[in-house]
Amino acid sequence: MALSIEELKAAILEKALNGPKPQLYLKDFYACDPDSKPRVIKKAANEMVTEGKMVFWSSGSTTMYAAKGRAKDEESRGT
Amino acid sequence: MGYDPENPMKDRITDIGPPHYERFFPQVIKDNYGKWLYHEIVRPGVLKHVSESGAECYTVRVASARLISIEHIREMCDIADKHCDGILRFTTRNNAEFMVDDEAKVQPLLDDLASRGNKFPVGGTGASVSNMVHTQGWVHCHTPATDASGVVKAVMDEIFDYFVEMKLPAKCKMALACCINMCGAVHASDIAILGIHRKPPMVDNEAITGVCEIPLAISACPLGAIKPAKVTLENGDEIKSVKVNAERCMFCGNCYTMCPAMPLADPEGDGCAILVGGKVSASRTGATFSKLVIPFLPNNPPRWPEVVQAVKKILEAWAKNARKYERIGEWAERIGWERFYEKCDIPFSDKSIDDYRLAYDTWRTTTQFKFTSHIK
Amino acid sequence: MPKHDTPLMDELEKGPWPSFVSDLKRQAEKNPECWDILGQMELSYKDKITHWKHGGIVGVFGYGGGIVGRYSDSPDKFPGVAHFHTVRLNQPSSKFYSTEMLRKVCDLWEKHGSGMTNMHGSTGDMVLLGTRTEELEPLFFDLTHELKWDLGGSGSNLRTPSCCLGKARCEWACYDTQAACHTLTMHYQDEIHRPAFPYKFKFKFSGCANDCVASAARSDFAVIGTWRDNIRINQDEVKKYISGELKAGGGIADSFGAFDIKKDVIGHCPTGCMWMEGGDLKIDDAECTRCMHCINVMPRALRPGVDQGATIMMGAKAPILDGAQLATMVIPFVKPTADNDFEDLIEVIEKAWDWWMEFGKNRERIGETMQRVGLPSFLRVMEVEPIPQHVKEPRCNPYVFWEAAEVEGGWDRDIKEFRERHKM
Repeated sequence: MALSIEELKAAILEKALNGPKPQLYLKDFYACDPDSKPRVIKKAANEMVTEGKMVFWSSGSTTMYAAKGRAKDEESRGT
Repeated sequence: MGYDPENPMKDRITDIGPPHYERFFPQVIKDNYGKWLYHEIVRPGVLKHVSESGAECYTVRVASARLISIEHIREMCDIADKHCDGILRFTTRNNAEFMVDDEAKVQPLLDDLASRGNKFPVGGTGASVSNMVHTQGWVHCHTPATDASGVVKAVMDEIFDYFVEMKLPAKCKMALACCINMCGAVHASDIAILGIHRKPPMVDNEAITGVCEIPLAISACPLGAIKPAKVTLENGDEIKSVKVNAERCMFCGNCYTMCPAMPLADPEGDGCAILVGGKVSASRTGATFSKLVIPFLPNNPPRWPEVVQAVKKILEAWAKNARKYERIGEWAERIGWERFYEKCDIPFSDKSIDDYRLAYDTWRTTTQFKFTSHIK
Repeated sequence: MPKHDTPLMDELEKGPWPSFVSDLKRQAEKNPECWDILGQMELSYKDKITHWKHGGIVGVFGYGGGIVGRYSDSPDKFPGVAHFHTVRLNQPSSKFYSTEMLRKVCDLWEKHGSGMTNMHGSTGDMVLLGTRTEELEPLFFDLTHELKWDLGGSGSNLRTPSCCLGKARCEWACYDTQAACHTLTMHYQDEIHRPAFPYKFKFKFSGCANDCVASAARSDFAVIGTWRDNIRINQDEVKKYISGELKAGGGIADSFGAFDIKKDVIGHCPTGCMWMEGGDLKIDDAECTRCMHCINVMPRALRPGVDQGATIMMGAKAPILDGAQLATMVIPFVKPTADNDFEDLIEVIEKAWDWWMEFGKNRERIGETMQRVGLPSFLRVMEVEPIPQHVKEPRCNPYVFWEAAEVEGGWDRDIKEFRERHKM
């Protein structure tokens, strides 16, 4: 059975915070719940950003997710 | 009340989209939406659309540099307020269009535009060179192999007559992309200028740990030329980094997009390739890709003379030799690419023979060819 | 901010084409950071290399698109452009503007940014070029509250859809491109503003096969107007073209000389389905592939038919990385209409998205996924019946991926039983 949206968000945050990769593609979160549709996972991941727990990282052409504080960025290096 | 940094989420508005397009229609457009019957090109840069109702819409098309200031936009607004009831539009090829509903209003508009120096050249219709679509280049981009606005300015200065007159065999759509990412796609243009790199990326081992996800850099390479490597820094630290198999590199720069510690831009390595013969419209023949006919020309700012001359030579060879309605690609197909090289006086090299994926599609598999000067 | 010596840039003030350098200098009087744009660009012209570096996590809160981060690599020399982020505004369908609205945008950008723009970006957005991180939220607040306007897409989002001007000022639009573009833009605000996909996804809407927005070359989902009945012919007007009273292409060229209907129209017809008969132009419409050439050349005599709709093509992209792809014809004819909020298009789009989100690899455009799995598999996903129109020609190799269910007796066989009849 698919996880509830809150359970899913917790699983996504856990992976973003403690997984080996600091920056993740949306697809990397699919494994958080194989029973949830990609669109539901997308919704959960984007809600985590709105809640301020994760951030988007973008090359301009591609967008990735990271737990707040784990993304590589010019600004965080004090430029 | 304005934005309150203490309460960034207060009264936040999101996902409202763009303004509805109907708000910005001139009256003659509103009244005749879906009722247009035919159009004419009254003179270069001036279109006349006639409605079933008998109403007429005259459009004056002017070029812009695309990279334009708000002062310039305000000047366009002044012109539209004076002549066009406060409406104007932009085209997909970075032109502005001023519309009036009466023939008598056209000449005063043209006179006004002409009185403003070189800011508003009228043209780009019918069998002309249309405004060049292009990318950012050195004014704003982090991955370019050439500039954009400056190259376009230099080219259009040289072939200006072909924009303001209609004396070509067909329309010619030109485009420039300052690297192969092609944020402005040039792969189906009559003539395309494309910024290319020719040196493999360097690896900045001192910086890579801080700015780059190593696995992303490795998977970014389409040819598997980037491998993980352990490196010892000057301070003795051993770090995880990457190494590049330079012989496999095709200089796409995809690694740099994902990893800023792998720069490949270089003053001597970078320059422009010229591609020709693409088109998008299905008119007569289906859409086709542009073909790489000149693999490299140097970056020579501020006026890129080698690039400008190459473009002009191709354009004029086509203008002189093609039949009516033949786009550059249709002309080259008819006379054969071996003849195209002769007519345009371009040396052929193995760099124009495809050896990437799906390459075989472009190899000649018939005895039908022409004995041009290439056969010694 | 001081002016810099810019002899190389100054060279680009000469000549008949509009000069962005003169324009930058003009704007610098109001937004002095433009002096630093010129200064840094001059340095690039000297060094023959860019001096920008990329952005990362810059954006407005909650959005994963619409802002592209940018920093100078020489902020000490050019402090005015130390931060130089791009803001994409979602353009109104087909880019008509009131001067009142444009002036509001100018005021907004004078207040919050460099004053430089692109009219427009390649995907279609109005691009505001160059601002600082701390200006982004105030700008977004003013944009949404005062102008009631929103950002466009970037990154792995649905990119800002765009369309030709369609029925607004063109006699050839076979469906309402602007309504389709606007309706779907509003319907998919979430997908435009927040990442949803393995990579970017683009919609483009063209009213006819002339394809003024290059949808067949540049969009993952292209809707191109067409018709399926007969080209409307006005024989009196045909005669006027032949007699020279009317100019070919409405006056497409000043150098074409006398009009020759056999050469200029019939001779270019890709299917050879036209001929003259007793002074009348005849068309065998069943053989016509609606390429638009004859209509382009004789706009007063020929018009698209009245049973109008659109063809859906999918999977076009620029070369990065596996090579360029043109769009593949997927659905030959639909009738997109505002009457049902374009639900026929939405149904196709979501079928493709659901599949691509699951099976597309990271940074793989849908056209590449289509190519990887093959068109037959993709057509099954789309629940589209395969027809000869899906290919230029049948395949030349015999390596068909038969399925067990298609073969009599299936694939389960007994090797022992086989060996009884066929000794090793």
